[in-house]
Amino acid sequence: MDGLRRARAMALKEVMHILRDRQVLVFALGMPVLLLLLFGYAVSFDVEHIPLAVIDQDHTPQSRELRAAFVSGDTFVPVVETSDAEAVEPLFRRNVARIALVIPHGYGRALGRGETAEVQLLADGSDNTTASVALGYANALALSVNQRSLATILGTAEPPLSVRVRTLFNPGLESAIFLVPGLMVLILVIIAVMLTALTIAREYERGSMEQLFSTPVGRLSIILGKLGPYFVLGLVQVLLTLTLGVALFGVPVNGSVLLLFAVAAVFLLAMLMQGLLISVVARNQMLASQLALLSTVLPALLLSGFIFPIENMPPLLQGIANVLPPMHFVRALRAILLRGNGIAVIWPDVLALAAFFVVLLTLATRRFRRTLA
Amino acid sequence: MAEPAAAPIIEVQDLTRRFGDFVAVDAVSFRVERGEIFGYLGANGAGKSTTIRMLCGLLAPTSGSARVAGFELPDQAVRVKSSIGYMSQRFSLYTDLEVAENLSFFAGAYGLRGARRRQRIDYALEVAGLTDRRRALTRDLPGGIRQRLALASALLHEPTLIFLDEPTAGVDPASRRSFWRLIRQLVREGTTVFVTTHHLDEAEYCGRVGLMVDGHLTALDTPAALKRTHVPGTMLAIGGDLSVPALRSALAGQDGVLDIQPFGRALHVRVRGPLSDPDAMARALERAGITGADITPTEPTLEDVFLTLAAGSTRQNEL
Ligand SMILES: Nc1ncnc2c1ncn2[C@@H]1O[C@H](COP(=O)(O)OP(=O)(O)OP(=O)(O)O)[C@@H](O)[C@H]1O
Ligand SMILES: [Mg+2]
Repeated sequence: MDGLRRARAMALKEVMHILRDRQVLVFALGMPVLLLLLFGYAVSFDVEHIPLAVIDQDHTPQSRELRAAFVSGDTFVPVVETSDAEAVEPLFRRNVARIALVIPHGYGRALGRGETAEVQLLADGSDNTTASVALGYANALALSVNQRSLATILGTAEPPLSVRVRTLFNPGLESAIFLVPGLMVLILVIIAVMLTALTIAREYERGSMEQLFSTPVGRLSIILGKLGPYFVLGLVQVLLTLTLGVALFGVPVNGSVLLLFAVAAVFLLAMLMQGLLISVVARNQMLASQLALLSTVLPALLLSGFIFPIENMPPLLQGIANVLPPMHFVRALRAILLRGNGIAVIWPDVLALAAFFVVLLTLATRRFRRTLA
Repeated sequence: MAEPAAAPIIEVQDLTRRFGDFVAVDAVSFRVERGEIFGYLGANGAGKSTTIRMLCGLLAPTSGSARVAGFELPDQAVRVKSSIGYMSQRFSLYTDLEVAENLSFFAGAYGLRGARRRQRIDYALEVAGLTDRRRALTRDLPGGIRQRLALASALLHEPTLIFLDEPTAGVDPASRRSFWRLIRQLVREGTTVFVTTHHLDEAEYCGRVGLMVDGHLTALDTPAALKRTHVPGTMLAIGGDLSVPALRSALAGQDGVLDIQPFGRALHVRVRGPLSDPDAMARALERAGITGADITPTEPTLEDVFLTLAAGSTRQNEL
């Protein structure tokens, strides 16, 4: 009871600091808006009008159907039609085409026999993002066409084509929708780790931590009181980002909002612990902010699957991404928002977040205790 | 569980603190009685703050024992913290908060509630002289007032013992005097004060003074006794623009010259025997060609004690 009262005194003080320091609030509430607008409008990850070379060596109705499926949307524009496979490389080099669909001889016959037929997709790897997005999209398309053809031939029920595409990618690959979960991670990481690491490091740096330790306020009260306000601020940001995402970009909320906030809460706790650990180790604001930046923003940007697909990374980076919270949070968010998944699907990610929290809690409180003598 | 009022409020036995190989505080032993002003004196790095940190439960001793306000350290650190106040060497209130917000926070940290909380905050405002400026930002306060506010906030929970680590460092003389009036007032009300200082004149206000040199407690007594024991002989102040070497050569070969130290504009010469008489001294100087020197008997100061005792220090030697 006493501990709670002291934690409350700490929390009130922290709120005072936050209210006094306009920068924190502007930063905390302005950043989600700014980042959303920046990423949502200015930086488009959508790929449209990709110049496509079609190398049809089959010349069957089936091969023409596949070609038609590729060029029916806005994604690919056929710029070259040929049957010469050797022509591809010069086309890429001269920037005439970015992606090439090679339908080999025998494609139609294989489909006719009820076998899975193979087509080749070649992409110009110099533009990585476009290439991977285009390839993924083309892949899904080819797969669905194949399966539809197979299904028609075998007389089984047509597989739900649209669902299949959607589970692989969000429909139409609208990047804003895809990016909102990633942005949420970035924003929360910055607030939770950066601000808490700074506020605790500041207490060490200015000597007020020593004054605090000279009072009967316990370690737990300090942690709870210090982190509580940022926890609330983090949840406000989740709400803000989500609302903006829905209002501006039509992000679908297919799953439970409650579950989303619950997962966000676990993620926030993990991040707050990381901030605490950093500040206890660094004990000055300069080092703390550098450590926070390195250990949070980088993984959130690079290892979350937010921009770069994890699957294409070397095993070591994949391993790191799997240990750190950002990837799990992005995955869980996307599952809840875009696919409407429940806890039955996302529990492994939630478990990974919780495990990270527990490990960091142990490390941080152990380090924090030492300073108390 | 508090002990009878007669027991010393601080009892320290062989208290030692190492940082790696470096011994910051070396087997220090002393007692502080209830209601005392106990002064702790020493050069930079002598180990004053380290001693205080251990006694406040902020730093674990490497060895030795300490009993503070009836509780054993470091095991009962939390209970010690509830009964003591601590004003650290650095100003450590929150400068971005208002006066009242600082006090209100520390009142909460000490677990004060309801009427008592309001009453203690009012008292603290009064002590700091800030009753009319409770909404002022702490960073806007002048140094002297800040120190009073820091003291006031360390008094919120009515501690029986208060540790002040160089409370008047960097404060103007007038504020220093009023700060010391406040300390004496607290002691009259029954508080025990443990204070470190660089100002030797302030040490004269202390009931007893401990002198730290290189982590050792080299002397501990009342100011008067310290002077008697460590600065024997008679102290003569010699005015006129004399240098130490000049006076030393003038008095070369004279019996009973114990020490010569510059002191303000004058020189302090400590002598024994016939030269203790100012007239005898004047004659001796005239024989060496120094005439018209202004010679007056004077009391040794704690600075003289300090200079004598710190003569062998390997750490810094300036107070
Ligand atoms: N945490 C620490 N780690 C390593 N050395 C330390 C630590 N704290 C203090 N010291 C060293 O111990 C010695 C005593 O320091 P302390 O702060 O007790 O001195 P002090 O008497 O209070 O000096 P000052 O008048 O400068 O405040 C110093 O040499 C200091 O460098
Ligand atoms: Mg000190």
